[in-house]
Amino acid sequence: MKNILLGLLIIITALACDSKKKPSADEISSVLDSVKIEEPSISEDVISDIIQQIPSPLEISTLLKESDTKYDNSYLNDPEKISDYNSNYKKALALGVYGTDLGYTNIYEQNQDALFYLNSIKSLADDLSIGQFFDIGTIKRLATNSKNLDSLLLITTKNFNNINSYLQEQKRSNLSILLLSGGWLEALYIVSRVSEKNPNNEQLKETIAEQKIIMDNVVLLMSFYKDNDPNINQLSNKFTKLQEEFNKIEIKTVYREPTYEVVDGMLVVKDNSTSEIIMDDENIEAIRNQVYAIRENIIN
Amino acid sequence: MKKLIFALGIIFISASVQQTYAQCDTEKHVEACIPKLQSGFTFLKSYNIDGQSGAKDKVEYSYVFTKGATYQIMICNEGSGTDGIVLTLYDSNRNKVASTKYEGSTLSSIAFPCQVTGIYYITYTFEGSSNYCGGSVLGFKR
Repeated sequence: MKNILLGLLIIITALACDSKKKPSADEISSVLDSVKIEEPSISEDVISDIIQQIPSPLEISTLLKESDTKYDNSYLNDPEKISDYNSNYKKALALGVYGTDLGYTNIYEQNQDALFYLNSIKSLADDLSIGQFFDIGTIKRLATNSKNLDSLLLITTKNFNNINSYLQEQKRSNLSILLLSGGWLEALYIVSRVSEKNPNNEQLKETIAEQKIIMDNVVLLMSFYKDNDPNINQLSNKFTKLQEEFNKIEIKTVYREPTYEVVDGMLVVKDNSTSEIIMDDENIEAIRNQVYAIRENIIN
Repeated sequence: MKKLIFALGIIFISASVQQTYAQCDTEKHVEACIPKLQSGFTFLKSYNIDGQSGAKDKVEYSYVFTKGATYQIMICNEGSGTDGIVLTLYDSNRNKVASTKYEGSTLSSIAFPCQVTGIYYITYTFEGSSNYCGGSVLGFKR
């Protein structure tokens, strides 16, 4: 707490010295970023358990491709913008965003675009001292041939998993949370854009609504840090408003005993449970608008 | 002299403890497991199964499964069998969804076409295991 007060004091002093020059949001973010974050009172194991529940953004990109929606790189964040991200907070969020964008380009086999994102990811990862997880030579070699898609997906997925584990081991879970939050929000942003363009696609609306479950986890994770980390506190407030929109949606589930068969030595489950999502287009539009606003704030 | 014996004792104990935990190379099992995912499944996550030589009777992870996707979870360890490692999948209300212990045999893989989005618990237990050690991977397809 003392550190936070000290950080705020620095900002106030800077303002007092030159009252005409207001600090930019980035400057404030940068100063707050330099303040050492106290560890949350909750155990790292609990945080790790919640983090690893969050699904890979690749799943949403795969859904988009399978539902025959076309690749559109205007949905993605500009890979050239990395110089705008000048604090660890901004960099970790942007790394998550670019990670999702890379997955999207990979799934659609857009290797040239993938290379741009790989360069940005490597640069941000180096700045966050996690660049060692990217063997950029191997990844670029794989990215030049669409036949290597499986290997490329595997390597990038493993890298992001390893980064998350490493950050948790290094007691830098706050960065891990930002990386995951940025990546999840970007996936939600892309599906929201695609859904807006395809208003009759009910599956896309359901996918947006089902993010309610992940939303709860993301807000929970941020709650562990928001008292000690001013940047996460600000972000958490925005996510909490988005959560309020999600809370207007109801998901009803009915459990029924599954049935089974063994196929080639593998147990294949027939899931007989069902779920129903109670929502309307206004709910989805409200969520979409909040997502667009938060994403705008994250990438700019 | 006492100090020297004490120091050597600490080194010996530390080395023994490290050796005990080094015995379970989960990474090796995970690496072996990834290529065994069925064709069409994309790798998502890997899970370490380290029962610490029997000190732990359960290792549990959780993940949000999405309606409409099919997930494959696979166990790998030394040899061809499962060495008594049993995978049980539970839904968010802890209802049992599936177990690799099925009709008297222990299988190494589950395919789960998910119909309800939610948190699922992936639990590994040990029944007559000799190594208490393995790796597991999660893949998905649409």
